[in-house]
Amino acid sequence: MNGFFSNTGNILFAAVFAIQFLAIVFTGLKNDRRALYYSNFVLLIGLVSGLFVTLSSKLFFALPTGPQNSLLNNWIRLDGLSFYFLFVIQLAAIPTTLYNFSYLRHYMEKKIGIKNFILFYILTIISTQVIVIANQAVFFLVCWEVMSISAYFCMILEKEKEEVQKGSFYYFAASHVVVFILYIFFFLLHHQTGSWFLSDYHLSFEDGAVISTIFILSFIGFGIKAGFMPFHFWLPQAHPVAPTVMSAFLSGVIIKTGIYGIIRTFLFIKPVPEWSGWLVLIVSMISAVFGVWYALAQHDIKKLLAYHSVENIGIIGIGIGIGFIGSANNLPAVEFLGFGGALLHTLNHAIFKSLLFIGSGIVCQNLDTRNIELMGGLVHRAGYIALFFLIGSVAISGIPPLNGFISEFVIFTGFFSIAGELKNYYPILMLIMVVGLAFVGGLAVACFTKVNAIIFLGSERKEVKHFHTTIYDYLSLGIFAALCIAIGFYPAPFVEIVQRVIAASFNIQPSSTLINMDWFYLSAIFGSIVLGIAALLLVKLWHHKKYGSRVSGAWACGYENLSPRMQYTASSFADEINTISGSILLYNKEIDKSEKPFPTPLKFESHSRDFVDRKLAMPAYGFLKSFISKIGIFNQTDIRYYIAFILIIITIYSLIAFLWT
Amino acid sequence: MDIEIIQGIISLLLLILLAPLFSGVVNKLKAKMTGRIGAPVLQPYYELKRLFRKETINASNSSFISRFSPILNFVAVIIAAAMLPVGFWKPLISFNGDIILFAYILGLARFFQILAAMDIGSSFEGMGAAREVTFALFAEPIFFFTIGSIAFVSGAASLYEIYHSIHLDNISYMVFVVICSISIFMLAVTECSRMPVDDPNTHLELTMIHEVMILDNSGFDLFLYQYSGYIKLFIYTVLEISFFNPFGKESYLVYAGIFIVIAFALAFLLGMAETITSRYRMKNIPQYLLFATAIGILNLLIFTFTQ
Repeated sequence: MNGFFSNTGNILFAAVFAIQFLAIVFTGLKNDRRALYYSNFVLLIGLVSGLFVTLSSKLFFALPTGPQNSLLNNWIRLDGLSFYFLFVIQLAAIPTTLYNFSYLRHYMEKKIGIKNFILFYILTIISTQVIVIANQAVFFLVCWEVMSISAYFCMILEKEKEEVQKGSFYYFAASHVVVFILYIFFFLLHHQTGSWFLSDYHLSFEDGAVISTIFILSFIGFGIKAGFMPFHFWLPQAHPVAPTVMSAFLSGVIIKTGIYGIIRTFLFIKPVPEWSGWLVLIVSMISAVFGVWYALAQHDIKKLLAYHSVENIGIIGIGIGIGFIGSANNLPAVEFLGFGGALLHTLNHAIFKSLLFIGSGIVCQNLDTRNIELMGGLVHRAGYIALFFLIGSVAISGIPPLNGFISEFVIFTGFFSIAGELKNYYPILMLIMVVGLAFVGGLAVACFTKVNAIIFLGSERKEVKHFHTTIYDYLSLGIFAALCIAIGFYPAPFVEIVQRVIAASFNIQPSSTLINMDWFYLSAIFGSIVLGIAALLLVKLWHHKKYGSRVSGAWACGYENLSPRMQYTASSFADEINTISGSILLYNKEIDKSEKPFPTPLKFESHSRDFVDRKLAMPAYGFLKSFISKIGIFNQTDIRYYIAFILIIITIYSLIAFLWT
Repeated sequence: MDIEIIQGIISLLLLILLAPLFSGVVNKLKAKMTGRIGAPVLQPYYELKRLFRKETINASNSSFISRFSPILNFVAVIIAAAMLPVGFWKPLISFNGDIILFAYILGLARFFQILAAMDIGSSFEGMGAAREVTFALFAEPIFFFTIGSIAFVSGAASLYEIYHSIHLDNISYMVFVVICSISIFMLAVTECSRMPVDDPNTHLELTMIHEVMILDNSGFDLFLYQYSGYIKLFIYTVLEISFFNPFGKESYLVYAGIFIVIAFALAFLLGMAETITSRYRMKNIPQYLLFATAIGILNLLIFTFTQ
């Protein structure tokens, strides 16, 4: 067995993490600005070199198998899936970290200490990377805890605000439910296989009950982290209050660890029973449809984007569901399309969601509000930011020629493939799914035309004195936007990566359905769109020269004193769609109807509340709270009672463990 | 060059060049039915020519989006037209899953048209955009249900193969296809802003959907919008005509005859609908669209269970 440092790849790998850990040291610097610049810079070097190591790894030549890919006594193991998620994490983390330079300056101006934030930010990034390569259950759980808790500490940067306390508590509570479920999950796995190593977990089809339990535990545990409905309620509470860098990383990357967990579980228990595929598919479809529908009703830009994460996690889940159904029926072609779509969408969502969050962060910081009803006309202030945000919006709506379309296209093809392979009642069910996904696309278009139009177009609703942007803003948004365009226009290499990942680590029969889709054809079509636009632009220029062009006021039936407040608002834009689903969205409008002879100022408000939060989570929490407060011991303020309580719990756990063995 | 590519180019050119003519025919028939003489059939061409020669005026508050959107709209509609099979000729763009690209590329055009409308910053355009986005949301499922159900029945995934799979061997299949074509017609009415969903000739901004979105466009921009509107109407017409493909199997001449007859029949239907119905209330339009979706679902269910 080769030692740890016998392999150049391993050394490079260790070096990458060493550099990232080194970044922590610099947070100890006295000066905030220096601490930020040095540690962030070192972290960036670590991430960029990490991305290169990941990319130059065997993922792109031959896939790593065998013992040389395990380090530290098999505690760390690199297979295709790990590599892919590592790639996604590092790719998304680099521009996010770049944005840190610009974002945190705002806090430094306000004299808010940021060193702790940087420290925990670095820890979050490192631990997220380690999670996907950890191969030992306890080590995995420890990293999971480090990631959850450091993300929590990042979130409470402005801890004196009440909404921050409330929102971050949602995250904290949800994270701990996840960890608790994962304890049981790994305990069961260990009990079944007698090993602590993830690579040893292979359950055979015979133990049906165990497989079902493990699958359900994993889907709930990792599903809460990923934000599937109905476990999504913490996302729209936590994302708005987190600092933008953290919400971008949380939404773009951290919730993907849930997806990683679900796919990893699939590798333990495959081939899965078919009902599990249907369960994932239906839950995901519900998440996708209602995630985006809730998003449409929001006025808070970050809350809106958080609901879009629910939608996109749903789309990823649909891909996983297709893969599961393929696995249950032993159809490698379907599996490749399903998992391929899911993995591609994971990458795509990490890119465009981070872009949108960072874009919204720049806007929110300059306008000092998250309410989109107060924004407007920013395209005239910051044209490039508007352009980048527009690229992200087109991508997230799944519209060609950008990257969101590519992954949705694979998923659509997956539906067609299931319908073709399995006759019977499958075509009808798949057709319903196709229509559902198309409906999601339509809602996303509604939502992102609304966001773009209200924030960037028209005229300014709130006076902005100076729109402040830095080079880092443009850099980080530019990288993300370039990636959106690159994957959209030239998907072939990315599809090939996904194909290799699945072929190598999913251990299924090779199938070329994914790679043989008409990718170059698609690139050619998108290219011709660009050519057509360029040609028409030239014609337009010529036309303007020959027949003239000018600018004049908009048509307002002859009225001249239009004010920015007379523009169409976000609520009225979305009102027609929201009213249709009012009862599920808990959407209510308050109109002040005072009928007086002379016109008086009127008031109109519209709200939407989360059904799961209001009707399920909060009542459950209230019940738990009142139940616990009835037990006298919890009302004590003396810390010794709590220590005693912890001791008792530990004793009980140890006794159970002792008796079990 | 490959014969298929030449055929594809010819059919695309036909689609682009004949599109205004079809609108002219619809308007002429409509005028006849309401007892007027009506504009000449070639009027849309004259209008395009007139618009092309006009100066372009943009609203003062608008940004690059409203200058860019007409171009994108036109290109997207042409790409969609290039995927459309005319008769038995293979379209210029045809691959597995192109129905998804077809729907989504029209979605791209819509996305930018809505943004361009909102770009003006006027409530008129805002209203139109909000309506467009709502109705488009309910219109998209109709397309996927009808074309998708034919696709799933035949196992094909490109528009060309889907329309090729339509045959006359089976009575229940024929009923199925006929009802699909009704759904597509209802979709065409919505997508091309005809009565009873939208009134293309209304004079009041408050009651418009599509027209109000392009209220502040003129010159070259309006030329592109109008032209892409004509092409879009013709695209949906050809989607409808292609259902009758099996009758024209024998020869090109028969097929051309069928094409013209069906096109006239559809123009007549559109004109008829605009003569005898009034526009629905905005509130009721989603119901109209859901009705079309429901027809699609029922149709597929009945067909599957009678097999």
